[in-house]
Amino acid sequence: MATEVLWWIFAAAIVAFSAGTVFSRSVLHSAIFLIGSLAGVGAMYLFLTVEFLALVQFLIYGGAVTVLILLALMLTRSDARGTPDAVNGPQLPFALLVSGGLMAVLIGVAAGTDWRPGGVPDSPTNIGIETISERLFADFGAPFVIASALLLVALVGAIILARQEEGE
Amino acid sequence: MVPLENYLVLSAIVFALGVYGVLARRNAVLVLMAIELMLNAVSLNFIAFAAYLDPGKITGAIFAVFIITVAAAEVGLALAIVIRLFRNRATSNVDEAAILKW
Repeated sequence: MATEVLWWIFAAAIVAFSAGTVFSRSVLHSAIFLIGSLAGVGAMYLFLTVEFLALVQFLIYGGAVTVLILLALMLTRSDARGTPDAVNGPQLPFALLVSGGLMAVLIGVAAGTDWRPGGVPDSPTNIGIETISERLFADFGAPFVIASALLLVALVGAIILARQEEGE
Repeated sequence: MVPLENYLVLSAIVFALGVYGVLARRNAVLVLMAIELMLNAVSLNFIAFAAYLDPGKITGAIFAVFIITVAAAEVGLALAIVIRLFRNRATSNVDEAAILKW
């Protein structure tokens, strides 16, 4: 019972933080709301008993990605603050329509589908780190190596893109 | 106990909020933050399915690992592009970065 109450608290926090991220007028407030939302999703991984991925979420998203985003915000600090016109484009009503329709369809499908004939288990099964490592290194070995190459390429590419060139 | 549908509805709400952010925002960094929200909603969905329906093979959790990896690479590259754009054109407004449009 206590788990359920906690779950609803965290779910409400995630929705509130996400709404703050996309509706806030100040870019810095948006970034701080984003940190809350990402941490909340990490807590959801704990509810799903995937502790390893929760830790990864806190480290990569709560740490690295948000620091990158905050740095980029501070380096590109310019106009676009204060009035909603400066932050949101003229396509705002269209965006509301599309995202509202999408939300209705997704919730309808999620709630109305019989996900497994014979019923879904009531509670999640614990996913241990041993299972994850076995699957990741034995069955998904090639994608794992390719992902590391992708990270290296992205790192070098980002440095080349952001570098100050001579004569600029 | 929390049923699977709760996780699916939660991730649907977060995903829709992300779609709204991508469509409505003008600042490129804000668009990127909304994309992060969408990616997180998708990995939450994958992991919920893995934990409830597929505890033996956990393909969904493995997918979430790759989503996190690719998202990290994507954020690094996209922010480099934003900084480049800001340096060359003194703006981070996606509506003004339209030189490739004809």
